[in-house]
Order: sequence, then C-alpha cells, then structure tokens
Amino acid sequence: MSVDGSVDLSDLQSPTLNAGNHMARTRRRWSKSSQDQPTKPSALADGVHEDIDFDFISPGQLYSTESGRLFHAGKILIVLVGLPATSKTLLSVAITRYTKWLGVRTSSFHVSEYRRKTMASMDCTSFPNDYFSAKPTTVEGRSKRKHILEKVQEDMIEFFNESKGQLAIYDALNILVEERLHLQQVFSRMNTKVLFIESVMTDSDMIKHNVDMASQSADYVGWSQKDALANYMHRLKVNRELYEEMTPEEELAYVKYVNFGERLIVNNNHFGYLINKIVFFLMNLRNKKGCVYFARCGTSTNDNYVNDELLNSAGIEYSKALTELVLKVVNERRASQSEPLPSLVANSDAIPNSSSETPEHKRSPPTLQVSSGLSSRSMSPSLSPLLTTRASLQRTESTGNAAMRQPVSGDGGDDDSFVVWTAARKRTFDTARFFYDKGINVRQRSQLQQLHPGVVADMEESEVRAKYPEEYKEWIKDPYHYRFPRAESYHDLAVRMEPLLLEMERMRGDILVIGHESVLRVLYGYLMACSCPDIPSLTFTRDELIEISFSPFENKVRRVPIVYE
Amino acid sequence: MPVYTVSNVQNLRICVVMVGLPARGKSFISQKIVRYLSWLSIKSKCFNVGNYRRQGAPRPSAEFFDASNEEAYKIREHAVTQAVIDMMNWFADEQGVVAILDATNSTRQRRNWVLKLCRENSIEPMFLESWCDDNDLILRNIADVKTSSPDYKGVDPDVATADFLERIANYEQVYQALDEAQDRDLTFVRLINIAQQVIINKVETYLESRIVFYVMNLHIKPRYIWLSRHGESIYNLEKKIGGDSSLSPRGLQYAKKLPELVRESAGNRDLTVWTSTLIRTQETAQDLPYKQLQWKALDELDAGVCDGMTYEEIEETFPEDFKARDEDKYEYRYRGGESYRDVVIRLEPIIMELERQENILIITHQAVLRCIYAYFMNVPQEESPWMSIPLHTLIRLEPRAYATHVTKIKADIPAVSTYKGKGTSQVGESDSNQRKSAHALIDSDSKK
Repeated sequence: MSVDGSVDLSDLQSPTLNAGNHMARTRRRWSKSSQDQPTKPSALADGVHEDIDFDFISPGQLYSTESGRLFHAGKILIVLVGLPATSKTLLSVAITRYTKWLGVRTSSFHVSEYRRKTMASMDCTSFPNDYFSAKPTTVEGRSKRKHILEKVQEDMIEFFNESKGQLAIYDALNILVEERLHLQQVFSRMNTKVLFIESVMTDSDMIKHNVDMASQSADYVGWSQKDALANYMHRLKVNRELYEEMTPEEELAYVKYVNFGERLIVNNNHFGYLINKIVFFLMNLRNKKGCVYFARCGTSTNDNYVNDELLNSAGIEYSKALTELVLKVVNERRASQSEPLPSLVANSDAIPNSSSETPEHKRSPPTLQVSSGLSSRSMSPSLSPLLTTRASLQRTESTGNAAMRQPVSGDGGDDDSFVVWTAARKRTFDTARFFYDKGINVRQRSQLQQLHPGVVADMEESEVRAKYPEEYKEWIKDPYHYRFPRAESYHDLAVRMEPLLLEMERMRGDILVIGHESVLRVLYGYLMACSCPDIPSLTFTRDELIEISFSPFENKVRRVPIVYE
Repeated sequence: MPVYTVSNVQNLRICVVMVGLPARGKSFISQKIVRYLSWLSIKSKCFNVGNYRRQGAPRPSAEFFDASNEEAYKIREHAVTQAVIDMMNWFADEQGVVAILDATNSTRQRRNWVLKLCRENSIEPMFLESWCDDNDLILRNIADVKTSSPDYKGVDPDVATADFLERIANYEQVYQALDEAQDRDLTFVRLINIAQQVIINKVETYLESRIVFYVMNLHIKPRYIWLSRHGESIYNLEKKIGGDSSLSPRGLQYAKKLPELVRESAGNRDLTVWTSTLIRTQETAQDLPYKQLQWKALDELDAGVCDGMTYEEIEETFPEDFKARDEDKYEYRYRGGESYRDVVIRLEPIIMELERQENILIITHQAVLRCIYAYFMNVPQEESPWMSIPLHTLIRLEPRAYATHVTKIKADIPAVSTYKGKGTSQVGESDSNQRKSAHALIDSDSKK
C-alpha cells in the first residue's frame, strides 16, 4: 500500500504526463454534482412486474442473440407447484428478478392476479368460493377456474410466441398430477422445456408465518382477522386433501424446494447452466427480515478518481451522523417488528438451557474490558449497539453445543445480523469507521470498487464533449452499455458485482452498503428491477439514506434524511 | 483489515466429508475444490485416506477391503484416524478454513464418528456423496484409476481392472448411502450420476453454497484450453506498462501466424475465442476464424497512477511503492489501481464459465494469464505473480482427472521480453530469474 496515504500529483515532474490516460485522470472530476438533480420518479417503484419491450436488454446481460434467448437454453416454462402459503409467489418474483437481470426475457404469471382482476370486474359475492380448490365441486366453480387458467396459459403462449419470451414462470397451485402432465404435454409440443419447482413446507412456524401474511393480503381487505384466517385455512385444507406431491415416477424435470431452501432436490437436470444458476440462486435465497441500506461515502478534499484519499472534516461529520442514523433506524424497525422478549440480563433463567456446559461468562452482565476496538467482532448481544432479538438469544444458547450446527457470526445468516460493506478505498472504509468502533462487522469488498471511468476520469461533461466528441455521442445514446476507452461500462460493473447480489440474497439481517454512486446504482437497479436506461441516472445524495425492504410481491423504498453540519 | 474474496469466513471452518464407493470421482472432486478455494485465497487442503493407508499396506489386493478381514480393517481404521488427526491439527495450527476428507466414508457409523469429532472441534461437516450407477461412467473412472493409482503400479491392466471391481464389490457390502430421512439433520449434498440428480440439504453458509455450485458445474468431457498473450505491442517496445496501444509490426506478424498455430494444435475442433476489451488482444485475434467474445474481466491489471509509465519511471517517481510491490507482489495494489488479488476476484466468474465450457482460446494479458494459469496448475500465490509468460507463445492446457497437461507452442517470431524480476527496474529475463520464476511453466512442460 502507499506509504503516506496520498500524493500531490501537481508537483510531479513526471515524464509521462502526456500519456493520455494518466493525464486524463489527474484532471478535475467528471461527474456532475448529483445534489441538484431531482430524483427520477420512475425509479421509485419496483419494476419486477413491468412488461419487457421488444428490444429489451437487461442490466446483467452478457450478450444478445438473434432469437433473443440466452445460455443456449431455448424456451423454458417454470411451473410452480405447491399448496397455498408455501411462498410460491415470492419464489416466482425472486427468480424473475434475477433471471431478468441476467438478460433472460422473463415474465411471471400469477394466477391470483388474474383472479383478482376477474373478481374486481364482477360482484364479489357471486364469485364461487370453491374456485380456490384444485378440484372445484360446483359447475360454476369449475368453469370459472377453467376460464382463468386457460387465460393465463394463453398469455404465456403469447409471451413465448409474440414477445420473444424465453422464460415464463407460472405461479399457480398445480398440485395435481394431471395438471402437470397437461402442462408438460402442451408446452413440450411447442418446443418449450418445462421445469417444475415444487415448494414443500413442513415447518409449522413457516406455515404459520405465511398464513398470517396471507390473511392480511389484498384478498381480505375489510375482513376481520379471525374471518380472514378461517377462510384462508379452509382454502389450505381442501387443497391439502387433494395434493399429489411430485415423485420421480412422473418423469418430469423438477426441483423440490423444501422449507424455503432447507433442502433442494434437483431431478432430471438436463437444462444445464441456466438451471444450475437458478439452483444456486435458490440455495442462497432467504426470507429476509432485515433491510438493505445504501449510503454514499463521506467527502474528501480533492475528490479525484485516482487519488485514494482520506476523509476531510466534513466527511468525518457525515460519517458520524450516518452511523447514528442507521443504528437508530435499524433499532426502531427491530423494536416494532419483534415480539416481546425476556430481558437478557435480569431474566437469564428464562432462556431454555439445553447445554449444560454453557460457560459462566456468557450469562454474566457485561464487563468493561470488551469495548476496545481490538476485541473480537462477534460480541455478546448485550454489548452490541443493536437491540437484542430472539435470534441473538438463540445464538447464545447454541454456542458451544456440539449437538447443533454452530452459529456463524458475521456473514449475515442470522435474522439479527448487521453487516456493513464498503469498497476497498480509504475514504469509503473510513466512512464505516464509526460502525467498526462500535463493534459492528465491517467488510471491505473489492467488487464494490466504483465504475472505472477510463480516459474521462475527473473531467466535466463539457470537457468530455470537447475532447472526445465521437465517444461522447455514443455515450449519450446508451450510457448503460457504452464504454469509454479504458473505462468500464455500467454493464461491466454489473457483471463484476453479480457475486455480491447472491450474497446479499442470502443475508437475512440488515446490510448497509457504503459506496460510490455508480455501485449503488447497480445494486439498487437489481433490487428494484430498474431498466438499463434508468440506472446510469439514478441519484444518491449524501442527504439521504436509502432503505429497501422486502415483501413477496415487490420491494419497497424509503428515503430517510441524513442531517449533519 | 482483509479484503474478502467470498463472504466472511471468519469463525467458519468446514470439513467436506466425501462419501462414495471407489471410482466415483471423489478424488477428482476433492482436488478441484481445493484448487478453486486455494486460488480464491481460502485456505484449504485435501486429506486422502488412501495415501495414509498405503503407508501400512502399499499395494493390497481386493480381499484387503473385505469388511470381515479384521487385520486389514485395523490398518484401514488406523489410516483414517491418522488422516483425521492431521486434519484437526491443520485446522488448529495453520488456521485452515476448508478441509476435504477424501475417503469412502461408506458407513453411517464412520460418518457419525467424523461428525462428532468435527463438532467437538467447532468444525462444520458437509457430507458430499458421489453416487453413480451408470456403468460406462464407472468403467471410465476405473480406467483412470488403474493408470494413475499407486495401488496398481506395474500391474497388468486387465488384472488391475478385475481386482478393482472386486474391491468395489467388497465396499458395496457395507455401503450405506446418505438418506434423506435418516440424515435429514446433516448438511449434505448427493450428486447422482455426476449431476443428473442433486440433493442439497441444509446448506447454511454462502461458502458452502459456492462449493456446491462449483461442483455442479464440473464436467469431465475431454477438452482443451489455449492461452496466449496478445502480440508484442507498441507499449511493450517502449517498455511502458498498461495503456491501450496497438500491436507492433512483429506483434501483427504473430496475429497473422496465430490461426495456423491454433489449427495445428486444435485440428478440426470448434472453439470460442475470448479476448479482453483492449485493442491489442483484439488485433491479435482478428484473423482467427472462430466465434469471438470480449470480456471486460480479461483486461490487464490496472496500474492506476503508474499506467503508461516504464518500470524505471515508476521506481523514480514512487520509490516506496516500487519496493512495496516487489516485497508482496500479490497483495500490492497500485495507487488507484489493482492488485493481483483484485484480479483474481474479478476473474472468478471467468473460471466458473471455463469449467462448464468446452474448447476455449483466451487471448489476454500477462498478469491475467498468470492468474488463470495459476488456477489450472496450482501455482501458489507467492510464485504466480513472478511467473514468466513470454510473448508470441501459445499455451495449450488439457485438464485431466488428476492433473492438467501443458504444451507450449512457440511462434518463432522474435519479441521483446516484458519480464521484470524482483529488485530491478530492468525488463528482460536473466537466466537465474527465469529459472526461478518460470518454475511452474517449465516444469510441467518438461513433464509432458
């Protein structure tokens, strides 16, 4: 690493000053101050359900083909299979988000959305209640069900045939052998491979959570909690009796997805890489309790691309304010989400003691000695600046118990984890220093290195226009894909960052990403399914903390002002 | 503050416990995992119980593996205990992160024993079973084993095959596959007929999931990978590093000759050419009659402020940096640029893609080639940044089950040397430098 931390390039009598790239980089910064630009309203909503244009190119797409299809995979229909309350919608939306980002023309088809539309257009009370059974008992129920399912299938066929679709995701029960066979026959006749993803839930806590969520869904607006729950449980019950779980005897290609990824079984895997990628994605997909936060790094004096500077005093003030704010926001949210907890210190008898060997010190009140910055990063819950949650108590309980898998601290696997990711640049890491001092896990990730600006580094836009008129013209046309000489395009950046997206999917707790605007654009673009033309102009200022929260059907954004001197 | 290649592995120790009958590719998978993780700087090591057993029984016949042969059982028991002890010591003394226990581990009793030992030492076991009933596949594996295993050194191939089949039959008597119901609390992966069916149970960390994804992408079809630097560039002539210059006349000559070299080496095989986005690699590839793909990830190591300078200029302008880089070339990150470690991280998707692809020709740059070459040839980090990879040379790699074979094809077109040894700012290969630094390349070359 460099010795004194920074170097004043203006003093250099370097014989290479006319080497294009070097000279370009030492000039003034090329990136308009984003503070005065209004936020793009289109980028506020999750775009995962938006239709894709005919010539759609996605953020992470590596190449394009004549047919519009990638990975030598041809057309694929993914059919979700499973009872109500098995997270089928979440799975189909998550896979859609990821594959769309990879450049696969994907669309998800949710039967429940079609049904809601139909219901909205008619008198609700006349909607046959046995529609919700896989085998309705009344003539009316049967015809309504047949009608809606046929409409969805027609739309999927149209998506393949008319819109260059490559991957359709069919979100419906499909719990009968006969239904699955039908789909297999219809679509394989049209040269489309069919992969079934069956979500099975045996964990009663997970089912309960999903049923609770469902009883608060759009279907039950205006219902009492009790009635909604009863109605939904009825839907679940009738279908449970009809459910035919998938077996190898059906001779279909399928992935069995048990208890939200606790177990995955891939059967008849002839699909190759694209399906391997989806399986890898599913291995990492977790039901998130926390949020993803985005913040810029603090300011430094010269703000050059090539200089690896430390923060200036304003930057330090910003970092302090950011630390306080993020901890406050996270704690407030955790307090509102959590069930009442036994107090850890006063009430330690309340913790079930499954391990007779739990060392004494884990139970005793905090001592002062631990607060040094050099201590281990994994702290006893009571010392953390974050609220104690049920997950932290469970962790305390299982530590040192050889009969259980040991908890892994720091990689975000737990509900209550909090990890800060920064780039490997000094001022970015410096911005996270106050988190680090408080015992929070701070990780430097070199993949978060900002977009490499190449020859136009540290130039004003006007300067670029004057010096590189041809390149400038091309850049204006397609700012996402255009690559200045020696530079990275946003597309390059997205491809480089893909492994981080998967890690982010796995992390169940809270993550704060402190990075350059270009890096935040790409991550935000993935989480909110933004289009390529939008991503380069997304704005992230130092006045706002961005919070993205997760729900099965879409992700939501909240902006929290950062106040500092 | 370290930079993490994959998610934080602090406090995380994994033992991948292989499970499976002989000739199921366990050793192949084990070695691949070690290679991949080591390359990503995740400390990993394979403990092959067979090697321990050979110390007590160098060339046993099939009866040795009969479960009722008590004498032999003791020797086998001793071997596995010894391997596990060494493994535990390695975790403790060398801060190991991922160990692979490469053995059949065919009974539930044995696996429970390993499980208990691991847990007592705060190591998480992940069982990885390779199960196969495809006879062709098994016979192909046996063919590999009898030619490469020390157990059958000097034995007639037919005799070896018959003995080996009998050995497998002895294992089959006691073999208990992993079971979805009985083993549901374990972290395990079952690969059935390579990856036709895969069962993944309780994979809890990102690192484990990366190992599984990697294993799912492995294939054993025969193929070649060719590597070449771009032809000599203008900057090479001027002794400058980085930049985006065109080829020199001699570099263009190499580009002209490359199609012929490739054809001689590849025959009629179809292949895909991967280049970087820089002019010099594309000029080098311009006459190749194959499909081409440009990867940003194959661009040369970014020298930051030093881009476009000669080594002499760098030494003069940034003497401290110049020294620091020589001291730890793998970790040194140019001001505003990259380190070798950074390059490895950005190359990871390329390696994953290479594993699943078939014939590929990569035309890229010195530092990037060093990293890719290091992956295939297991060159350690301290050495790989110092390897000499001369201009105007086509390298052909042939990945085989137990090792990668290398062939070097010289184009016979003169070019400057861009090699810089330790402690000098002069380029060019002195004899001693070359012998030391080119160790890996020359060594494996002569073995071929």
